Amino acid sequence: MSDRYIFRYIIILVLIVSLLLSGAALLLKPYQDMNKKNAQRINILKAAGIIGVDKHNAEQLFNQHCTATHDGELPYYIIDDKVTVIPMQGNGLWGPIWGYIGLSEDYQTVVGAVFDHKSETPGLGAEITTEGFQSQFSGREMKDYSVEVDAIAGATRTSDGVKDMIKNTLEAYKPVFERHE
Amino acid sequence: MSKNLNLITAPLRKANPITVLILGICSALAVTAKLKPAIVMALSVTVVTALSNLIISLLRKGIPSKIRIIVQLIVVATLVILVDQFLKAFMYDVSKQLSVFVGLIITNCIVMGRLEAFAMSHKPWESFLDGIGNGLGYGSILVIVAFFRELFGSGSLFGYQVIPQGLYDFGYMNNGLMILPPMALIIIGIIIWLQKPEEEKK
Repeated sequence: MSDRYIFRYIIILVLIVSLLLSGAALLLKPYQDMNKKNAQRINILKAAGIIGVDKHNAEQLFNQHCTATHDGELPYYIIDDKVTVIPMQGNGLWGPIWGYIGLSEDYQTVVGAVFDHKSETPGLGAEITTEGFQSQFSGREMKDYSVEVDAIAGATRTSDGVKDMIKNTLEAYKPVFERHE
Repeated sequence: MSKNLNLITAPLRKANPITVLILGICSALAVTAKLKPAIVMALSVTVVTALSNLIISLLRKGIPSKIRIIVQLIVVATLVILVDQFLKAFMYDVSKQLSVFVGLIITNCIVMGRLEAFAMSHKPWESFLDGIGNGLGYGSILVIVAFFRELFGSGSLFGYQVIPQGLYDFGYMNNGLMILPPMALIIIGIIIWLQKPEEEKK
């Protein structure tokens, strides 16, 4: 087979494939964006202590309860004019972790917290996404931008990551809290 | 007909890609901590092997042999991206659990192995069946491993608690080792060990 044939073959193949892929990406993008948005909404509402949220009623509940706002460059969400939900980002053992923490009106008590991760170990670090770990945060008093909860046995680095993430984020939001008190 | 049927049944036992050919071990260790992602992964791999086998077999007379690996890779990669996009759009939770492993189907040795060993030299329909068979052979091991890992590691199946609370009250505990990848390797080893003497008898 001549080189000319090979070039023609591969160019046509790549053209077909690229058309196919971009078509699929365009077609599916609305669904994917909706999924991401809903996941975010569910997390924010969960951090504010609103339970029973699933992907079907997330949008409605979110619009009903929540206003997104920001102070300078720091974004946060106000739920029912009471709870402040703050997005967090940090580092676990293997990759990024993130989440939302909901604070009471006086910023002293944690209402709820949700965490997610990219690549923590299933059964160890990945346990931060479980109800059992997250529910510990509800109703805890904050002391010096830290909350006392049971860490996950066998996942020291991920647990430390969560601790640092909360502390760093809340310290960064300190000016916001002071302005509102 | 029986020859075609054999294309599907052979990879389930005596030519199983995981336990006999020892291919595709990586993802078998990674996604089998729970049943649901294991089943979705098994279906994804089955779709990719079957369709890539079919497409390559249809193209096989026109593929320039100098670049046949590249052509195979393009076809496999395209299918995997489509599967990944589809999961992200319609099965968001599962796609999050599977994370990178859907993308890594591209490098799954079973897919490329079947293309080179079978689809390049067989008719489309046979190749398609061969792909289905190998996907199911891979998937069946995934499901067996995930069953034991979820049962003993988390005490649940498909996320539903099956080990009664009473047993925990007596001091029963979930086995943390079950959730870690080494235990998947050990379970696969046990499956191979059970399967081996049966094959040798024949």
